[in-house]
Amino acid sequence: MMIHGVLARLACAAGIIGLSLVAFTVARAVILSRARRLSGKLPSFRSGTPGILYFTTPDCVTCKAAQKPALRALEEQLAGRIQVIEVDALNQPDLARQWSVLSVPTTFILDTVGKPRQVNHGFASAAKLRSQLQRVS
Amino acid sequence: MPDRLGKVDHSSLRVTQGSIIVLLLFSFVLNSPWLVAVVAVLMLAGSAVSRPGFFFIYLLLLRPAGIVKPDVLPDNPEPHRFAQGFGGVVAAVSALATLLGAAALGWALAWLVIALAALNLFAGFCVGCAVYYWLHRLQVPGFSKNPPAGVAPGMRPRP
Repeated sequence: MMIHGVLARLACAAGIIGLSLVAFTVARAVILSRARRLSGKLPSFRSGTPGILYFTTPDCVTCKAAQKPALRALEEQLAGRIQVIEVDALNQPDLARQWSVLSVPTTFILDTVGKPRQVNHGFASAAKLRSQLQRVS
Repeated sequence: MPDRLGKVDHSSLRVTQGSIIVLLLFSFVLNSPWLVAVVAVLMLAGSAVSRPGFFFIYLLLLRPAGIVKPDVLPDNPEPHRFAQGFGGVVAAVSALATLLGAAALGWALAWLVIALAALNLFAGFCVGCAVYYWLHRLQVPGFSKNPPAGVAPGMRPRP
């Protein structure tokens, strides 16, 4: 009887965790989908070349110390085959809000028509960004 | 003017969040409000001495064994202390409610603590810290710290 109760509560816990995972996945998809609707509003995007939309701020230490050098290295590796669009989230708070950017650095991987396919909250290494770009090229 | 930041070892915070999640899940599955009470006491005691509630697991076991490495970031310790204290109070009310017969309310509160700890552990968002910074903006006495520069209130700073 007691084992039956434990199993029932275990199933209940698994159900709650499962539903939470589904909700998290849906929330992430909603952020990307919302960003996709806005992708046409990036005036500096050149169609035909995949890119990275990079949100930063002037006082972001990680951006200066790690994210920017990683992006520069990637641009050198893939010379001319990608575009990096840098946005100062403090100068363009509306754009940051529209793209659901809560922290910097945040990078969106854009496909050849400018649609976001991946999002990285926080530092993303050159290798990771390269692998994400390969999937959308 | 930005605040001078202290140093916070986020690995010890993550160990505490993981321990809270595991123990509260066990307490739910085993229908043991006493275990919730133990978690609440550790969280509240941790806040009282400005340490993560399960710091001892990290300090005595996981760090010496090299299982978890330190992740010291410039951050304000006060919001984390507040968040843990807030979580501890919710866990204490949860245990009390369950022991007094209001099981549905008690377990709902325990799941709330699990959800908030999971949000912090997996998404890097500390709801209690965000509440702290919100109270600071409202100029509530005792809530004196600004979020680190370039970091949204409640979000984990980056190295």
